[in-house]
Amino acid sequence: MLWTLIRHELLMNLMTFRFLVTVIASMSLVLAGSIVLTDNYERRLASYNEDFQKHQEGNFSGKTYSSFMPRLDRAPNPLSVFNQGLDKRATNSLQIKIGEVPFLWGDVSRNTGFSNPFRYLLADIDLVSIFQILFSLLALVFAYDAIAGDRENGTLRLILVNPVGRGLIVMSKYLGAMLCLTLPLLMSFLLALLLQLQSNAIHYGADDFLRIGGIFLTTVIYTSTFYLIGLFISSVIHRTATSLIVSMFIWVALTLLYPNVSLFLVNRFIDTEERVRQADQAIDQTLEQFYWAEEVPGDPFENPPLLKGSEAGAGSSSYTHLKKNITFIPDASEIHVPTVKAYFQELTSGRIRTANKIWQIRETAFSETYIRKSNIARNALRFSPAGLYHLSTEAWAGTGLARMQDFFTAGRQYRETVLDYFYDKKAFGSRQWFASDKGAVRWDDIPRFSYQPPGVLEGTSNRALRDLFLLFLFNPILLMIIFAVFSRQEV
Amino acid sequence: MLWHVVKRELFEQVNSLRFALAMLLTVFLMLVNAVGHIDEYETRQAEYGQQVSAYSARLEQNSNHLYKLVLDGPGELYKKPSPLFFCAHGSENNLPKFASGKRAGWGMHPVIDGKPYNVSGIWRLKYSGFPPIKAKDMFPVFLKIDWILIISNVLSFLALVFTFDAISGEVEHGTLRLTLSNAVARRTVLTGKFLSCLISLGAVFMSGVLVNLLLLYLSGTLQLNAQEWSRIGGIFVVGLLYIAVFIALGFLISVLVNNASTSLVILLLIWVIWVILVPSMLGTIMSGLNQPSIRRGPSPVYFRRSGLQERYIARGLEDKAPTRERPPTRATLLWAEFLNEEARESARLHRAYLNAQINQIQIAREFNRISPTAIAQYAIESLAGTGFQRHLNFLKNAERHADAFNDFLISADRADPDSLHVPFVRQGMSDKPVSFESIPKFQDRVRLGDAFKGAILDVMLLLLFFVVLFAAAHVSFQRKEI
Repeated sequence: MLWTLIRHELLMNLMTFRFLVTVIASMSLVLAGSIVLTDNYERRLASYNEDFQKHQEGNFSGKTYSSFMPRLDRAPNPLSVFNQGLDKRATNSLQIKIGEVPFLWGDVSRNTGFSNPFRYLLADIDLVSIFQILFSLLALVFAYDAIAGDRENGTLRLILVNPVGRGLIVMSKYLGAMLCLTLPLLMSFLLALLLQLQSNAIHYGADDFLRIGGIFLTTVIYTSTFYLIGLFISSVIHRTATSLIVSMFIWVALTLLYPNVSLFLVNRFIDTEERVRQADQAIDQTLEQFYWAEEVPGDPFENPPLLKGSEAGAGSSSYTHLKKNITFIPDASEIHVPTVKAYFQELTSGRIRTANKIWQIRETAFSETYIRKSNIARNALRFSPAGLYHLSTEAWAGTGLARMQDFFTAGRQYRETVLDYFYDKKAFGSRQWFASDKGAVRWDDIPRFSYQPPGVLEGTSNRALRDLFLLFLFNPILLMIIFAVFSRQEV
Repeated sequence: MLWHVVKRELFEQVNSLRFALAMLLTVFLMLVNAVGHIDEYETRQAEYGQQVSAYSARLEQNSNHLYKLVLDGPGELYKKPSPLFFCAHGSENNLPKFASGKRAGWGMHPVIDGKPYNVSGIWRLKYSGFPPIKAKDMFPVFLKIDWILIISNVLSFLALVFTFDAISGEVEHGTLRLTLSNAVARRTVLTGKFLSCLISLGAVFMSGVLVNLLLLYLSGTLQLNAQEWSRIGGIFVVGLLYIAVFIALGFLISVLVNNASTSLVILLLIWVIWVILVPSMLGTIMSGLNQPSIRRGPSPVYFRRSGLQERYIARGLEDKAPTRERPPTRATLLWAEFLNEEARESARLHRAYLNAQINQIQIAREFNRISPTAIAQYAIESLAGTGFQRHLNFLKNAERHADAFNDFLISADRADPDSLHVPFVRQGMSDKPVSFESIPKFQDRVRLGDAFKGAILDVMLLLLFFVVLFAAAHVSFQRKEI
């Protein structure tokens, strides 16, 4: 019986004008969007490859241990075509330094795929925002007359004459319309994938397909949520015209206004400046302490220079605590080398201590300001289906804040590994720390950095599934309310 | 007769559910906008004040020596914030806040007659200063709640909700036939309905605006002069015109389609494409196809590679150093010529790079003008004194000031009888301090004329949209069988 009803609903919907419009609109928008977004991704990938090559050569070209300051790059995420999140805006390279723990947003270099900074004036849109706007609207357009229309025509009374439960009717309408909406959605997804796979730059693995599957599932549930909202309105309000108007107002409020208004207010009224200024002051103090207390007394390169007559090679900084590359030490100064070694041993351990202190200040300050603010904003978004949809797809695509932090955590771990390696080699107190006159450092066995983003099954899916679950929760609740309202209604 | 129709329609309109919802929504958003911008202008004004005083302090420091001004230039020229920021954010946060007239960034140290001669380039105007991305940008992206958003997204939507059943609904109910059986011309009916829609939406818009301005005024944020009030008036008129375009669109579809629901569905799809998708996609596509022809600004030492330096060296630049001898020697004149040409050429290259960037955006904006939303946005930004057009005006101001500054340097040099009057080489110029008061100070002025001139094209385009849509609605209504 259910199947007959679903088939009936499906056929009724398929032959309508609105179905045609749905197919045409979603396909053409996805087509245009995919082309632009894929092109942008290719640009970013090309510039990433260029940087990566450059850094790969530069990272291990130093002749002394102190000149090891490798730059690590984050590859752009191909799934940013679906939800771009922070992928374009966040920094995509970090530098490992002995005297600084790398932190997110510490570096301003970004790879946005465009060379013109005025481009930020033009809005950017990703596939998820197209789906977010289009499919919520279409779901409501399919739903507004599902019950109210049948009631107006009198067909509802006709159907109920047959031995059909009311629950069955609601269920069949829901499933029929959802099948009808999923079809163009599936076609759009396939079109988007096809266009992306045409490009040589994008290679998806099994993990990425799982993620895309997750995005698709989230989109279906999002659409279903809006369909049920529409169905609810349709069951409460008796006239189709009124039901349509109310649906549209609710649509504007939920997709357009609520997310933007809540973010606007959170951004305006949660102040972080004061706390950040405090942290900056504390950091300045720590740095000052380091420079005055630990470095200046007994700098072997200043008044008077101990290594008289030595020559510095390329890439040597005039500041003692930065890169040093001395290529020639006269025999007369050789007796001072142990003093210089001891000095550097002392200096680097001081720098590492200072770096750890600063990192502690910075980490707490960040988690109390920017990260807290961003979390409040995210929680505010969770009250609306559109916000949940956005957050869940962001987690699926791996373009959110969590992924950016993950990259920096990997960078910090790499710094620790390098420090351990230096300790093992006793590099800090060695001649090769500052001088390459007795042979350059060989970088054969130094650990290399490689960043593998966490797979979808290793925990990132938790965040996505949590928001997806919240989004899904709307569905049974709405269905139950609709059942309750509809079964007590007089037709 | 017309007035009669208007009155009847208006009465019906005002008593409907949608009018109440529209009023609620608009007033609420305008309240959010006002609350979000309380004290906001003061903060930006204070920041601007600090920057300007730092600017004059630097200038005063440099005024003890004329040649220091030649080397360091006027410093960073700051853009004045607009008090109408709450009407249009205009992506101000993504635009540079200043243009910098600063040191060239290069030095030459040729050895002449066994002695090293140190020389560095004279100042020039550069257009950098794009705000760096900072940690606060990890916040999710959102649309700013300004008047533009309220007008372009919400009021246009309301216009469609008010009009979708204006004709088709009455056709469905049969009331239209009844109306037309009286001695009423069809054009009177349509015009009457149009006017009543415009009046009721205008009332909604007006109430929102009044609530907004009242709250900002009471909180002391709003201190506007006559010029700024006339800008607000201009923005209101553009808003009304934009609403009228969508009312005309609503009528056209409502006449063409006999079923009210179908007409709303069509209207909503047009709305989604016109209002939301075209402004955020078309420009991006078009600017992607038109990459700027120049990819990088000139490096400070571009002239070493470009052949400029070689040309002068061939003419004997590095044979002799400039001197204070009178009359000026050939070497003094040659060095002056080299420095001037280098600065001119560098400024030209910086400008060409800027032009290439601006072109890309201009093309995107031209294409975006297919959508009335983009048109209204550009017009309102221009009137509010924010956004791209305003930035271009600011850059023009900065360039004008750069010329005035150089003129001042030359005239200050003229006033010194001991000088050789060969700008801008150190030995050919005055060695004395100049009075700080006489240095021209940069003042970023926002002219009302510029604002209206920047908006006029867009207003004309909106008017064109309106006339075409309204005429189409009229013609199809005249020919419709009822």
